[in-house]
Amino acid sequence: MNAFSAHYFDGITSRMHAVTVSRDGAGSVRVSGDGIERLAPAADLRLSPRLGRTPRTIAFTDGARLLVSDHPLLDDWFPSEDRLLRLVDRLERHAHAVAASIALCVAALVAAVVWGIPWAADRIAGQVPLAVEAKLGEGVLGQLDKYFGFEPSTLAAEREAELRSRFARVVAAAAMADTHRLEFRSAEEIGANALALPGGTIVVTDQLVDVLSDDRAFDAIVAHELGHQRHRHALRQTLRSSFVIVLAAFFAGDVSAASSVVVGVPTFLLQSHYSRGFEEESDRHAFDTLEAMGESPAWFAEAMRGLNEAHEDYGEEVKYLSTHPSSTARIEAAEAAGAAFLERHPEKFRDVPGYDACEEEGICEDDEYEDEEEDCDDCAEAEVDCADDGVDAEPGDCPIET
Amino acid sequence: MHEDVIGAPAPPLPPAAGDAQHWWPAPSPPPAPLVEHRFSFHGDAREYFRIWIVNLALGILTLGIYSAWAKVRTQRYFHGNTRLAGVPFEFLAKPWPILKGRLIAVTLFVAYVLASQFSLAWQFALIGVVLLATPWLLVRGLAFRARYSAWRGLVFRFIPDYGEAYIRYLLLLIPTVLTLGMLYPWVQGQQKRFIVEHHRYGGHGFRFLVSSGRFYIPYLIAWGVMTALIFVFFFAVAALAAASALSGKGNGTPPVWIMMTIVGGFYAGYFVIFVFLQAALLNLVYNHVDIGGRRLRSTLKGHRLLAIYALNTLAVLASAGLLIPWAKIRLARYRAESLSLLAADDLEGLVAERAGEIDATAAEVDGLFDIDIGL
Repeated sequence: MNAFSAHYFDGITSRMHAVTVSRDGAGSVRVSGDGIERLAPAADLRLSPRLGRTPRTIAFTDGARLLVSDHPLLDDWFPSEDRLLRLVDRLERHAHAVAASIALCVAALVAAVVWGIPWAADRIAGQVPLAVEAKLGEGVLGQLDKYFGFEPSTLAAEREAELRSRFARVVAAAAMADTHRLEFRSAEEIGANALALPGGTIVVTDQLVDVLSDDRAFDAIVAHELGHQRHRHALRQTLRSSFVIVLAAFFAGDVSAASSVVVGVPTFLLQSHYSRGFEEESDRHAFDTLEAMGESPAWFAEAMRGLNEAHEDYGEEVKYLSTHPSSTARIEAAEAAGAAFLERHPEKFRDVPGYDACEEEGICEDDEYEDEEEDCDDCAEAEVDCADDGVDAEPGDCPIET
Repeated sequence: MHEDVIGAPAPPLPPAAGDAQHWWPAPSPPPAPLVEHRFSFHGDAREYFRIWIVNLALGILTLGIYSAWAKVRTQRYFHGNTRLAGVPFEFLAKPWPILKGRLIAVTLFVAYVLASQFSLAWQFALIGVVLLATPWLLVRGLAFRARYSAWRGLVFRFIPDYGEAYIRYLLLLIPTVLTLGMLYPWVQGQQKRFIVEHHRYGGHGFRFLVSSGRFYIPYLIAWGVMTALIFVFFFAVAALAAASALSGKGNGTPPVWIMMTIVGGFYAGYFVIFVFLQAALLNLVYNHVDIGGRRLRSTLKGHRLLAIYALNTLAVLASAGLLIPWAKIRLARYRAESLSLLAADDLEGLVAERAGEIDATAAEVDGLFDIDIGL
């Protein structure tokens, strides 16, 4: 073939000319018809790159252009220098290349979500000075006080002092800097809860203190929150969330005005995915800290059970606001760690949640004097009281043992 | 001469004069009957999917560098498949300016993320910089897109006017905030007027034939419905709380699924209002654009747009993004089919912009700051 029909625009007016384009042996292109008669060397003409079945244009140096349906022979007539776009066009038409692209994109998306975003966010988090994070945390506590109905704590002064000294012991056992602050707040709205704010502050609600059956459960809770602090989860979560939003926006592009939904749903799902990982990490931190204190990790399970009960009584809405997922699995993990602990320290068999000295050893409240001799000289009374979940013991009765 | 013609009769291009479209303006003027020149969209979801996925994969492989080339291909695909009176549009830009724009955008974003972690002062400083640069970037982006969009061999123009841009996109924010948003519809009108009236094509400046006050009508309706929706929402919550308190189950907290339904219903209502408002605003703007006596006509329907958006959103979510091309094609098709150009002529007598009509300084700056920013 050496001629085809096209539409010619001179680049000066919008007038469309139906023309015939032909080529002679010397490499010249002739455009003729509808009042147009034009001859130009083929080398001076620029053919637009091939793209699907979209019409193509052939541009003259002076701005005139030919509009023509796509045809494979066009590229023979006007060979393009642009190897890249020729390759891209071939890939777009190649079934295997398309399949490989799908696989690559899906794999890249999964990899970005599972590894890329956490890696990048954690890298950046590592660069943020603690002082900056502490500044952030101050603002957060102020906002909680203002908007989430946080009231000053109503705990008795001596009770608070006692918990603070326990907290100091947990911090020391976790070998962490003593810059971590403990704040008590009464918070009817969120109920029994503990929060790790960016910058090292831990907030414990009065409602949580009330539901914990034993002070060792309190140790477990603050050890868990200190885990959030050690691994800077608040900051890392913030960074990861912002990366997820960017990624989702990148993929969704300008699909629709509804892109806020398109971005929002995956963002929410991924955030809970990440926060689950953080909770597990903090749980392990709590187990290790308790072990270092000579306490059983099973106290964490006890604390979780207390929290769950409290929230069931409290009302349903707390549950779906909660960021702590799948507590059954976490309780089981704590129980398992507790069992392992007991194997290593069989002498601690009394210091586990639910241990009933009366049932197991016959050391009962009523006849504690009878059994005193069997157990040990002067510590039995205190141990009995404390092992009995602390329910019957007056606060402060239990010496800080082990 | 061989009659060896490729591509059959160059399909939907009007091959020759024929119907009423080729009506020449009479020398003595009895008012010419208006002819409706339709916009149409010829893209195909399967074809675009291949282009999209291959280019996306190349973008990933090159760590984003190729994305500028991908953008050119996407724009060329959508321009080339959009036709007015049977003639396709063209997108002529090269990837380099787009790459430059993207590098600047990424740098700003990274700087912002870092600043937000280091100090509040730096963060606000960067927000300030972005805010100050926004009108300038907007003008550059509009000029870029116009200059590289062509139809029938003639390119569009956007005449930069930075002073006006700063007034309408920055200065007018102050009274908008002071009036708690009551001025917002009018400001929107002023911004649309700015965009429309600085465009040129075929020797004509675009004119915007509607007062900015008219923008209050769709906004007041949307605000009214929104207020009603909020009332219904609170009423429903209060009624449920009362019902559950009376039923004696205790603490006045209704079951979770009811709360979820109400919240979901509220969002759905918001979405519906948003889409109808968007349709009304697009129609309002397009229907008042005048290009040398020719008028655009837009007949977008809120409920059609809503159906498209809703299904697009569900499809994109359910397919983990793989149906994004399909969604984009559907939307582009509907938007093109709802648009037409009413003209008394056959659109053959338009002429190229003469160089003298364009601010020379602006043209020079163009070369230096040839960037395109925008997702």
